[in-house]
Amino acid sequence: MAAAAKPVDEARDLEVLHRPNIASADVQLPAVRDYEQVDNEISATLSPTGAWYIGLFTAATFLLIGIAAWMYQIYSGLGVAGYNPPVMWGVYIITFVFWIGIGHAGTLISAILYLFRAGFRTTIYRCAEAMTVFAVLTAGLFPILHLGRPWKFFWLIPYPSWRYIWPNFKSPLVWDVFAILTYLTVSTTFLYIGLIPDIAVLRDREKNPVRRRIYGVLSLGWRNSDREWRHFARAYLFLAAFSTPLVLSVHSVVSFDFAMGLPPGWHTTIFAPYFVAGAIFSGLGMVFTIIIPVRKWFRLQHYVTLNHLDAAAKLALFTSLVVGCAYMVEWFIAWYSGLQVEQDYFWNRVFGQYWWASAILYTCNMVLPLSLFSQRLRRNTTWLFILSIFINIGMWFERFVIVIPSLSHEFEPWQWSGYRVTWVDMAILAGSFGWFSMWFLLFIKQFPVIAISEVKEIVKPRLRKPHDHGIDTAGQHLAFERETPGEHE
Amino acid sequence: MRGVLGHFRELDMAVEAIEELKRGDYGPITVYSPTPRHELEHVLSAGPSAVWKFTLIGGLLGVTFGYWIAIWVSDYWPLVVGGKPIASWVPYTIIGFEVMVLVGALSTVAGLFINSRLPKVTHTVGYDARFSHGDFGVWVECDPEDASKCEELLRAKGASEVRRER
Repeated sequence: MAAAAKPVDEARDLEVLHRPNIASADVQLPAVRDYEQVDNEISATLSPTGAWYIGLFTAATFLLIGIAAWMYQIYSGLGVAGYNPPVMWGVYIITFVFWIGIGHAGTLISAILYLFRAGFRTTIYRCAEAMTVFAVLTAGLFPILHLGRPWKFFWLIPYPSWRYIWPNFKSPLVWDVFAILTYLTVSTTFLYIGLIPDIAVLRDREKNPVRRRIYGVLSLGWRNSDREWRHFARAYLFLAAFSTPLVLSVHSVVSFDFAMGLPPGWHTTIFAPYFVAGAIFSGLGMVFTIIIPVRKWFRLQHYVTLNHLDAAAKLALFTSLVVGCAYMVEWFIAWYSGLQVEQDYFWNRVFGQYWWASAILYTCNMVLPLSLFSQRLRRNTTWLFILSIFINIGMWFERFVIVIPSLSHEFEPWQWSGYRVTWVDMAILAGSFGWFSMWFLLFIKQFPVIAISEVKEIVKPRLRKPHDHGIDTAGQHLAFERETPGEHE
Repeated sequence: MRGVLGHFRELDMAVEAIEELKRGDYGPITVYSPTPRHELEHVLSAGPSAVWKFTLIGGLLGVTFGYWIAIWVSDYWPLVVGGKPIASWVPYTIIGFEVMVLVGALSTVAGLFINSRLPKVTHTVGYDARFSHGDFGVWVECDPEDASKCEELLRAKGASEVRRER
C-alpha cells in the first residue's frame, strides 16, 4: 500500500517529456503519501519568501503608475485616453473584455470540469478560481475608468436614480451590470465556500493566536463533521451547476455589447459562442502563466503534475481550434454576405490599416497553439509558459481587432479614421496587471493555492486492513492500488 | 451533551467501529474526517441533503423577481418605440436568468449554513484539531450507563485514544 508513495525528489524525476497518452478523468498523485504530507506541504506555501515580496512590490508599483495615470485623466478629461471620434471605445473596453475573458477559464476549471468529474482540475482549480475573482474585480474597474465622470458610476446600478427614471432593461449595458455583478458574487461565493474546510485546516495548525482567531472566524467554526461534509458536497455541486451556465451567459452578454450595435463586424450572431470560446482560451493561457511559476516556486510539481498540465493544454488546444474556426467563419460570412461595407471592413482589418494587429492575433491564437498537438510540447513547462504569454497577447489583440477596426471603418467615408493608443491607456493597462497581481499575491500568502481537502480525496487514507471490509474504492478513489497506470514509466 | 469520543488513525477501523456502534444503538453518531469519504457516508447511511430545496426555491424566486422588476419598470415608465411591446420577454430573459443564478446561488449557501448549523460560535464537544489534519473521530452521544460499553467497543476496534466528554 505504502509502496505507491514516492519521495518528492524522485517525483520530480518523473517529469519526463514523453509518455503514453493519459486519460484526464482520473489523475492520481503518486508522490503524495498521506494527509499529513498534504497539509504540511501546501500550508508551507503560506510562508512569505523574497520572491513574493519582490513580486508584490512590482505589482504595487504598476498599480501606482495606473492610479497616477487615472488621476491625470480625471484632471485632463477623457481626451488623453486616445479617443478620437468616431472611435469612442478604446483600450479600456478592450481591456474590460480581456479581463472578463480571463475569468472564464477559472469557472470552467472549477465548475464545469467539476460537473464532468475531470480529475486534473483538483490541483489547479484553486488558483484558477482565485484568478477568476480577481480578474472580474479588475474588469469591473474598466467601465468606470471609461466614464468621463467616474464618480457617477452608480447610475449604472438598477435603481431609480434620477427623477424616478430606471435604467432601460433592454440595453446591453444594463445586462452587463447584471451579468458581471452576478458573476463576481457567485464566483466569489464559490471560491469562499470551497475555502472553508481549508481555512479550518489552517486554523487548527496556526500557532499565532491572532491569525488563529481570524482563521477561526473565516472558517465559520467548521468542524469536519459528517453532517457538514454531506451538505457541503451538495451545496458545492449546486453552485457548480449554477456557475456553468453563468460562464456561458456572462461572455455572451459581453458580446451583446457589440452584437447589438450596427457597425460592420459587430452585428453578427456568431459573437456569443465566439466570445465564450475566446474567453476560455484566454483564461487557460492565464492559468498557465500563473500555475507554472507557482508550482515551480512552491515546489509543488508532485501536486500539479505534468499530467494535469497536459490535460489543460489539450483543453487550450481545443478552444484555440474553436476560436480559429470562428475567425474563418467571420471571413467567409464577410464574403458570402455580399455586403460591400462588411467586405471593405474585413479587407481593411486583415490587409489594410490594422494588418499588424490581425497578424499578431492570428499568429498567437491560431498558429502557435497548434504546437500543442505535440505531446512533447504539452509536457514542456517552459514552452507552455512562453505560449501562454503569446496567448495573453493574442487575446488582448483579438479584442483590439474587434473594437477598433469596426469603429474606425464604418459605413460612410467621414467615419473612416484612425486610433492611436496613448501613454495614459498603456499606464492604466499596466496598472490593471498590477492590481490583479497584487490581489493574487496577497491571496496566495493567506490561503492555500491548492485545495487541501480535495487533494485529500485523491490521496489514499491510512488503512489497517487493505481491501477488507467492503470499503468502496470505486470511482476516482483508486487508493488501494499499488501503482497508477500512466504515472510511472 | 454527554458521550464518548474515539480517535482513529485508520479509516477502516473507524468504519468498523461505526458499524458496531450502530448495531448497538447507543445514540446519535457524529464522525469527523479530514475529507469527505464515501465509505463513511455509506456506513452512516444519512438521508439526502435538503440543500436542494433552498436552491430550487431561491432560483424560482430569483427568476420571478428578475422578470417582474423588468416588466414592472417598463410599465411604470413606458418607452414606446415603433409600436413594439413595452414589456419584451426576450431581453428580459437575460435579467431573469442572471437574477435566478444570483438568488439561487446565495440561497444554496444559506441552505448549506442552515443545514450544517454554520457558523458555529461555541466549542464543539468532541472536536479535536487532529480531525482536520489526518485522523478520524467517532463521537457517540450516549447515556452514562452505556459509556463504558462504548469505550470498550471503540478500543476493541482500534481507536488510538478514547475519552468521555460532556
